[in-house]
This record gives sequence, C-alpha cells and structure tokens, in this order.
Amino acid sequence: MPTDERAPDIPLADVLRAANGLASAGLIEDYALGGALAAIYYVEPFTTYDADLFFIPTDKGLTAGIPAIYAHLQSQGWQVEREHLLVRGFPVQFLVAQGLTEEAVREAERFEFQGVPAKVFRAEHIIAIAASVGRQKDKARIEQMLQQAELDKTRLEHILERHKLKLPTP
Amino acid sequence: MKLEMRRKLAREPFEEKIRKVGQLVRLAKRFPRRSRRQTPRRLPPGATR
Repeated sequence: MPTDERAPDIPLADVLRAANGLASAGLIEDYALGGALAAIYYVEPFTTYDADLFFIPTDKGLTAGIPAIYAHLQSQGWQVEREHLLVRGFPVQFLVAQGLTEEAVREAERFEFQGVPAKVFRAEHIIAIAASVGRQKDKARIEQMLQQAELDKTRLEHILERHKLKLPTP
Repeated sequence: MKLEMRRKLAREPFEEKIRKVGQLVRLAKRFPRRSRRQTPRRLPPGATR
C-alpha cells in the first residue's frame, strides 16, 4: 500500500485538542506535554512511538479521575489499548503529575501547535525529571538536552537543588 | 552527525520536527532493526561448530 508522505503520523494537534477538552470539561486541572515529544521541542527530532501527557487531576481521590477521563475520550472515538489511549492509532499516555512533574506542569511553557494552544515541560524540568528517573536512556536524554537545548542554568540549578537531585557525571 | 548540524536541527520549528519524527517512525516500521541475536553467526569456511 503506498504511503502518503504528507500524512501526519503523529496526530499531536488532536492529542492537544483533546487534552484542552478535558481541561474545559473540568476533568483535569491542567496538563503539559512531557516525555520524548517534550524533549523534541528542544532538541533534534528522534524516533518515538507515543506521547506522554502529565495532568493535575481535579479529582483528588485514589483514581485521580482516570475512569472519567477514559470515558470522555472514548466517547470521542479514542480507543484503549493496555495503558495507552489511541488517537488515530497513535498511543498516548495520561500520567498523573505529582511532586516534580506537578511542578513541571504548573511552570510549563505555553506554545501553539497547528493553531492549538498547549503547554510543554520546560527544558530544565525535562532534565531534572530524567535525573530523578536515572535509567540509561534518561542519562542519554540529559546529555542531549545539555548539548542542544537553550537552557536557563539558574533555573536548572534551583530545580535540582529543590528536589535534591544531581546530574549524572559524564 | 556533527554537533553543529544537530543543534541546527534542534532549532527547527516544532511542527517541522514532529513531521520528521513521523517520517522516522514510518522508516523504522518499514525497516525494523534486526537484533544481533537474530543475525545468523557466520563461521569461516571449513570451520565447524
């Protein structure tokens, strides 16, 4: 089957529109794009197969309102596959923000994607989150961010200090 | 790739970068990487296991 080279494989505008819809419906307080796609906002493009959206729940109960979020998105044609929700076949994870990631959502940078307003984690928070997770791929992400992203070093130092984190030694 | 080139790519508009991620994903699906374990080991001619 021929592939349409212009076809958008990453339906990010749809993802962000849906997240805005969740906020408008009062199902989440706020959200921001995190994970690999947030890193790509600051560095060269690389392969990734899903989108991570971190949200601050309106419902502070045990489920963080996730059943209502899933029901809302499913009513709009999204499908569920294990821990992912799929929009046009593209997997999206909705992750509850807490601690460092909640701070990252609250201080996220505003941007527009194909006319859709959204928020993305700041570069300094992406680095701090990677430092807090500490897997090999997180170390690689830190190195890539340090080499390519325009950073506010003071902000980064403050975040690391506040959360008692250290960058891995090269 | 040289660091300067990577930094140049990093400065591209986000929408353009997302389009390129889509292309990378499409390529990765068309040409999946074979792990080393799947690659049959070649022995020199005449050698036995």
